[in-house]
Amino acid sequence: MSDSLQYFRHMDHTIALMLPFDFQRLIADWGKLRRAMVRSVPDAFTRDEWAYMLMFLDQDNLMRPFQQTFGQPVNQPEAPLKLLVKPRGEIALWLPNNVSLLGPLMLILISLTGNTLRMKGGTRSENLTGTFRDYVLTALDDCTLKRYLQDQTMIDCFDREDQRNRDMAKTAKVRLAFSSDEAAHAIESMPHPTGSLGIYFTDKRSEAWIEYDALSDEAVDNLIKVFSIFGQAGCTSPRRVVLIGGDNEQATALKLHLLKRWPKAALRVPPHTASENIMARQWAVALGWDAELAANNGAVIAVGNRNLPDFSSHMSLPIVWADLESAVSELAPNIQTIGHHLKDANDPNWLNAIGASNVKRFVPIGNMHHFGPVWDGYGFWRQLFEEIEVMI
Amino acid sequence: MSVLLQQAPYLKRQDELFLNEINLLTEQHLAGCKAYGRICKDWRPAHRIEEVPFVHVGVFKRIELKTVNEDIVFKRSAHSSSTSGTSSRIALDQKSSNLQSESAAKILGDFLGVEKRPLLVLDSVKSLRRRGEMSARVAAAMSLQPLASDIVFLLQDAENPKSMKWDVLRDVLLKNEHFILYGFSWILWLAWGVAEFPQDIKELLRDKEISFVHSGGWKKLEAIKVQHDDFNKAVLRAVGNTSKVVDFYGLVEQMGIIYPMCEYGARHVPVWADIIIRDVYTLKPLIEETGQIQLLNVLAYGAPYHSVLTEDVGRLIPGECPCGRKGRRFDLLGRVPRAEIRGCANV
Repeated sequence: MSDSLQYFRHMDHTIALMLPFDFQRLIADWGKLRRAMVRSVPDAFTRDEWAYMLMFLDQDNLMRPFQQTFGQPVNQPEAPLKLLVKPRGEIALWLPNNVSLLGPLMLILISLTGNTLRMKGGTRSENLTGTFRDYVLTALDDCTLKRYLQDQTMIDCFDREDQRNRDMAKTAKVRLAFSSDEAAHAIESMPHPTGSLGIYFTDKRSEAWIEYDALSDEAVDNLIKVFSIFGQAGCTSPRRVVLIGGDNEQATALKLHLLKRWPKAALRVPPHTASENIMARQWAVALGWDAELAANNGAVIAVGNRNLPDFSSHMSLPIVWADLESAVSELAPNIQTIGHHLKDANDPNWLNAIGASNVKRFVPIGNMHHFGPVWDGYGFWRQLFEEIEVMI
Repeated sequence: MSVLLQQAPYLKRQDELFLNEINLLTEQHLAGCKAYGRICKDWRPAHRIEEVPFVHVGVFKRIELKTVNEDIVFKRSAHSSSTSGTSSRIALDQKSSNLQSESAAKILGDFLGVEKRPLLVLDSVKSLRRRGEMSARVAAAMSLQPLASDIVFLLQDAENPKSMKWDVLRDVLLKNEHFILYGFSWILWLAWGVAEFPQDIKELLRDKEISFVHSGGWKKLEAIKVQHDDFNKAVLRAVGNTSKVVDFYGLVEQMGIIYPMCEYGARHVPVWADIIIRDVYTLKPLIEETGQIQLLNVLAYGAPYHSVLTEDVGRLIPGECPCGRKGRRFDLLGRVPRAEIRGCANV
């Protein structure tokens, strides 16, 4: 592929981005794929997952990393050129097992950077990334995107002892890994080029903060939707709800509100999850929680004092209450996302509280699962480019 | 003491009497076990068996439930084997143990006959000597004790099916003609079904009558595609043709209540126990459809495992069984199927 220069206006200067393709053409090719995706859902994906992919591939969404990172695209430099930005070269990406859409989303985001991408998938779960890549190659005629995927991306699944792990680390300019702390350490310890970057996304958890007086049916529906996608299994999923400034009565009212609005038909869980929920409800109650089952045993919603012994199951959602100071001080060390529904999220008290913590994302509950170019406190997408100072 | 236990196991059911006994038992557990009291907060005496509350078996893996009152003397706990890594722990008391032994003896006696004969156990005697704890495997073997004239452990190492003590087996074969042999299904397959017997043992076995009794662990056999017929053929290959194989279903959370498969493939419920099949989503009792198995019995005093919702799937079989046993019977169809849980990012 030949290099292509695109300019961006960023405040008082211009940034030149050198990619192996016209990025707008690449985005347009993803748009072509969207039209094909609307017609059918491959068996490997759930309908919800496919719908999220469709949303992710919206043209505006794909433009956003460029705009947020470099500014507005312009045809010619309109201000002094200050930076020439180009892909670093080779990216090695380690994906963990059982990660749903993470791989496909990373493939899309990294395709926008023009870097060569070598991905390692897990051996203990379905290879959705490979499936998606194959789908794209089949669905598209010859085009920029297809050539990029064919020539510059590969995905293999092998275990952590495989020599290919070291091969990936040996030449990559950026090592990107979503993994356990232990695996991240192992990858970082592999021989790698001096000056290369390691960016590691390790074990994280999230929770929802709600002010009771801000609640509405829509907010409750949002919480149900966000929680029910991954339950306790997602790093971005609310593992619990904290009513900031709330009390037992409000927590109980929220529980009842959730149960009332829990969809009866749309959210049918697999049989063993329903069985597990029956168990988890009894376990929670035995420990002192006020726990009830959602429709069709689809989840356990439990209210209790923060000091009660923990219980957990895939689809259990505890609701507790705390003042803001306690909520912050009791955050897990590996907290990632706070999904909020507050009377006024603009109040500086919230930002002050978040700033004093390890929180990496403070987003509306509905956005908790939205993956993007800034993650866990890293602007990782920007890090996939090399930035060259230019004075002309 | 259960009036029902004084009867033969497979007579016509007395559901009203059963309901009465289980209501009394539930009341005792509510009075003596705080955690159970919380689980069954809104309990009222059941008017129908479907109204009897249950404890999901998974709860016993996570908390220890015990019913405390002056009649209960605890002796040890039983724990289940588990492919998930977490075992259930059931507090065993003397009173329940006595009743459970009697129950097991009556049930097995109905299938195997009541004359005592040596009980050969595919386990190690060391398993019996662990203080305070008993595995489900050993408990199942010991449930056959009332039918045993003698108990002989055949494995040197309980975890090694190839550690058969041939000399011990030889010795007992020389002295007896009829036996019961118990093993966990997987162990029985490895230690006996596919084992190479020494020639002299083969000769000794040829005319012996052995009732092979096995339970648990069919998952591993399914994984290597061993069917029930293959299993039975292999186990019976070297022994006298009056020998038989009895597969029984039981769980540590229903100690003493076992469900051998009859010659017509059904599992029969003794009069001091009961079964309900439930829809996992609504918990509605099912009459004909497949669903999740709830098991009940009137023998469990030391902890509220008198009514449990299992993680097994089955269906009731209507009508009378050609084997002649009365009462309820069911098909055991396997475990509740597990689906892959999808997470994101760092799971």
